[in-house]
Amino acid sequence: MASPLWDRAFRLFAWGCSLVLMGAFLVIIGFLCIKGYTALTPRLIFGDTGFWDAVLLRRQVFDGLFPAMAGTLCLIMLSIVLAVPLGLSTGIFLAEYASPRVKWFFSLVFDILAGIPSIVVGLFGFCITLFLHQCFFDRLYPCLLISALSLAFLVLPYMIRTTQMALESLPVSVRLTAPSLGATQLQNIVYVLLPAALSTILSGIILSIGRCAEDTAVIMLTGAVATAGIPKSVFSSYEALPFYIYYISSQYADHSELIKGYGACLVLIFICMNLFVLSHFLKKRLSQRLLFRH
Amino acid sequence: MDVKAFLSKSMFLGACLLSTGITLGILGFMLVLAYPLFARGLFWEMLIQPWSPGQGLFGVGPMITGTLCIASLAVVISIPISLGVACFVGIVHPGGKGRILKSVVEAMTSVPTVIYGFVGVFLLVPLVRTLFSGGSGMCILSAGMMLGLLISPTMILFFVQSFTLVPQNHLDAADALGANTVQKFFYIVLPWAWKSMVTGLILSFGRAMGDTLIALMISGNAAAFPESVLDPARTLTAHIALIIAADFDSIEFKTLFVCGISLYAMTGFGVVLARGLGQRGRA
Amino acid sequence: MKGNKNKRALVWVGILALALVFCTTSLCLAGELDVFAGENQVLRISGGTAHIPVMKAAAQKIMTFNPEIQIIIAGGGSGAGIKQVGEGLVDIGNSGRQATDTEVAKYGLKMVKWAIDGVAAVTNPQNPVKSLSSLQLQDIFSGKIVSWKEVGGKDAPINVYTRDAASGTREVFWKKALKEGDITEKANVVVSNGAMKTGVSNDPYSIGYVSVGFIDDGVSALTLDGVTPSMASVKSGEYTVARGLFSNTKGEAKGLAKKFIDYLLGPDGQALALEKGFIPVN
Repeated sequence: MASPLWDRAFRLFAWGCSLVLMGAFLVIIGFLCIKGYTALTPRLIFGDTGFWDAVLLRRQVFDGLFPAMAGTLCLIMLSIVLAVPLGLSTGIFLAEYASPRVKWFFSLVFDILAGIPSIVVGLFGFCITLFLHQCFFDRLYPCLLISALSLAFLVLPYMIRTTQMALESLPVSVRLTAPSLGATQLQNIVYVLLPAALSTILSGIILSIGRCAEDTAVIMLTGAVATAGIPKSVFSSYEALPFYIYYISSQYADHSELIKGYGACLVLIFICMNLFVLSHFLKKRLSQRLLFRH
Repeated sequence: MDVKAFLSKSMFLGACLLSTGITLGILGFMLVLAYPLFARGLFWEMLIQPWSPGQGLFGVGPMITGTLCIASLAVVISIPISLGVACFVGIVHPGGKGRILKSVVEAMTSVPTVIYGFVGVFLLVPLVRTLFSGGSGMCILSAGMMLGLLISPTMILFFVQSFTLVPQNHLDAADALGANTVQKFFYIVLPWAWKSMVTGLILSFGRAMGDTLIALMISGNAAAFPESVLDPARTLTAHIALIIAADFDSIEFKTLFVCGISLYAMTGFGVVLARGLGQRGRA
Repeated sequence: MKGNKNKRALVWVGILALALVFCTTSLCLAGELDVFAGENQVLRISGGTAHIPVMKAAAQKIMTFNPEIQIIIAGGGSGAGIKQVGEGLVDIGNSGRQATDTEVAKYGLKMVKWAIDGVAAVTNPQNPVKSLSSLQLQDIFSGKIVSWKEVGGKDAPINVYTRDAASGTREVFWKKALKEGDITEKANVVVSNGAMKTGVSNDPYSIGYVSVGFIDDGVSALTLDGVTPSMASVKSGEYTVARGLFSNTKGEAKGLAKKFIDYLLGPDGQALALEKGFIPVN
């Protein structure tokens, strides 16, 4: 393998694969842009309703993405609110309190949770709802709350993992300063370790937001529907952007609806990419700042 | 230990137990709901039987086959590409070009699966249909290709991560001895990184198996045992999405739990396997 | 600094928007919609996918008239509609077939038929085959005939599309057009009338079946035993693969659900049904 021919072939292989992957990625994005750019007008989002009428909820939007975007937004906020406290506390426990053996066991469990297909989590949410509906609350239907809970389960392992990693990777100098000055373990966690690890934790949370925004399998089982308008409470069904895309892809009525589907794809990609860039930026920027401080 | 410390510790422990409870609860709930099938001894039969409700057969054999076929195809398509890109990033151009490529790959992980499905329906499926005349284009091949694209970024990042496990002084030594990139890759990087790479492979396979939307949208969903890559097939995940609307008391609905348990078991097994490898790799 | 202020302003707009969820204004229009004035409930509808266009149009009219009302429409198929309304998960469960006697007895369902619809076998418009006998149709769906050549078309394999088990359209087609014959396992499975139309219109060698109301330029309806499915032939009874479109409630319909069903049966609702390609009952 010493001959330069091998070396050349190896480089060629690496270049080729990279070009294939980038090509495929660009084809996907380009295809959506070419087909969908005509749809990118305020009409795509607000339909025939005026901007202020829609945003101030004075009038329902019927043929725009506004209800779907609002539904996705509510869903994300709710699931993050549910997942953050649980994920953070669990991560803190694993990083700061657990003994290696305990840590080994729990990380295995959370790795398994991370591996569970999202539709199985959705199935779980759906059956729980059915069970509760039949046995306890007959006013409970598949709804925003159930979807948000299921999504929270889905992003929980990511959050635990990032919190744990962020805390564990702090340098010993940071870790030991406060206790040596007489701080308790809790004080050390709350006032020193968590703030120091904040950037990584935040970027993990933002990635989880992205996961909530894109997941379709869970929500199609637990309450996303074709037409619902803006959700009025956490116990109502809702529309969501990824579900809308799925719905359009299989049953668009005419060409203009299909074009709206392409538009919705672009909007969703735009949102997800922005979340990604934000998380990337946060991780870089904050870790640099911390680096300078110490 | 004062009260506050004790309380906070129990709170953190409680959160941890709750999270664990959810993981186990999902499995437990499905086992309980599938209990009637176990009790009648139908469960194991169902894993291999065909699906033909007309004859009273509700096996998920075709779905398991479909899942394994599509996920394997995706991994087979994805391995060479991921390997190539990972080498580009980690070995051939570790500097500027590689870093840019890595950022793009990281950005690719944030593309929603439903987008891949959507593009699959309107771009890939017609293409496959015209290239291989006959067939609807909704087939294992289309789904496998799209899934391959979906899991590539994850796999690449995993491979790149494994390459960093190689101690720098070994690489420096190789450079000093005048090794070229191929030699460095085969004699130094691979022996150090292969275990971690296999871990990445297993986890990517799990990801391919667990995806719903791509299979549901472009694999055709036919509940028959597939015979070629141009046949339509139904995955376990798509089966769940399709049957969820059925009568809750019916046996069709009960098969969902067979699907759920199989998926849980397969991905769980993958995780355990991957960890076992990782553990030994580190030791 | 300025950027900060702008951000804060944006946050406030957001908060205001959320606060306004509960504030609404209502429009006043006269007509059949008047009965919906003063209602502020949620109406949940699911089931038959053939019904969706009419449901959506009616919901849009009602919600425009009175934005306080929220009408939620989901698909799922007739089986899901009947089951979900029976279990109390939705207020109205639509079905494209009559509920069976056991279903009616088990849940105390009340069925209301508000339109008549046909189910037609459809192919891609590019396909030269425009008519089939029922025997040929049965053989195609059971997988005995696998090439379009055998029924006078191109030398290309036939791609059969069918619906999932919860579909009323499938039930009616299977009973009345296929005479309860087998449907091949190799068939592609789709989840709604809309998805069937999309699938068939994108695949030149496909065959499937949709509600007559869904037929447009994208698909061509097959003449079956010499009868072309259309609104006229379904109405006259000449085309026999027909069914009613039902909206079911658990027990006698009450409140908003009753008003909604009455609206469907009234002149406005019936006009909507006609507009979407179904035959009104009144």
